[in-house]
Amino acid sequence: MLPENITAVIARNETWTGVSTTEPYEAGWAREVVMFVRALKDPVGDQKTASVEISPDGMHWMQEGTDIELPKRKNEVSAARISHFGNWLRLRATMPDGTSTTVLVTVHAKA
Amino acid sequence: MRRIISHDDFSNGHCGWSQLVGNYEDDLDTMLPGYAQHTSAMLSTLGHWDAGSHGGYDSSYALKVATRPRAGAQNVAIKRLTTRHRSPIRFEMYFTFKPEANELKLSETDVRSVGFLFDLQGGDQDNDSERVMPHLRFLNAENGRHLQKWQFKRETTAFRKIGTEDKTESHYHLANDGWMDLPDGEQKLCYNEIATKVNWSYLRFDFDLRSMKALEFQCNDRVFDMSGFESIRIPAMKNLWCMLNFCVFAETDTAKRTFLYINSVCISGDF
Repeated sequence: MLPENITAVIARNETWTGVSTTEPYEAGWAREVVMFVRALKDPVGDQKTASVEISPDGMHWMQEGTDIELPKRKNEVSAARISHFGNWLRLRATMPDGTSTTVLVTVHAKA
Repeated sequence: MRRIISHDDFSNGHCGWSQLVGNYEDDLDTMLPGYAQHTSAMLSTLGHWDAGSHGGYDSSYALKVATRPRAGAQNVAIKRLTTRHRSPIRFEMYFTFKPEANELKLSETDVRSVGFLFDLQGGDQDNDSERVMPHLRFLNAENGRHLQKWQFKRETTAFRKIGTEDKTESHYHLANDGWMDLPDGEQKLCYNEIATKVNWSYLRFDFDLRSMKALEFQCNDRVFDMSGFESIRIPAMKNLWCMLNFCVFAETDTAKRTFLYINSVCISGDF
């Protein structure tokens, strides 16, 4: 049996301003995840980082310790490799005033 | 029925149940909002903050369809097949549903509905080809009222052209209006006494692909009369021949996520 391997879209064409997060994603079966962020449009203003977050229950969140550089231009892609995350994952960005980005965030999880 | 078309228990993967993505052309902004809200289904052990993993019926995992935390939000998972033989088919699943347990309350009216639908079309050589979409939902609650009844739908929303090349159009057939009560369709399902206790329910829907009519519907101990049931029927579309799609969906009534869990799905045919 080949190990389970799935691509999930956790944010599609969502415009982030202020504090923005993806919907929670459960992947407790996976040993490792690569999370990609692609800018679908040219971002507005200086782009900082987004933080990977983990949770014991999908409701209470803390930083996992990995940050992802937000793409600086349309169709640029950035990514992070994550392991030992338990079950719940999400990505959180705090966009400074006057900045925004429209993103596609995908999770590539492997057992 | 005699031939198992697929049997998915989600203990070894998503089994082809994927996100229902909306149609678009050139720009994702052309996607209808009803589809834009959809997210990917997950494999879940129904982990609860107070009791740990609930687990599935016969393995640790179930398929989870989660809405966003916004009143009226919906999400859909879909399995896309085509028809080999027009015969009666049977759709069975063990399912349960709960709202996100972010309050220490029973929250029994936070889930608006859960349900399923087929999306069907005859073959390109058939004389009677229509696109036929039987829908059934368990309307759990609306505006705080605990209604607990099965409903069906016979009309979709108007089609809208997507893009400029006249190749794609889209309709959001899961809009909250147009649902009709299934005759004698009231049913009190087991909900249990706190937001993190769940019980699996059985569901069976028999549908004849020859006549494109519902034959029988059962949920737990109740078998419902389907003589008053109708499907959404629209003219055949130019690229959907022999389509045999199955969807499961969830809808929240409050600003709280609704979770639909599917332990297993068996699709079989009488051929």
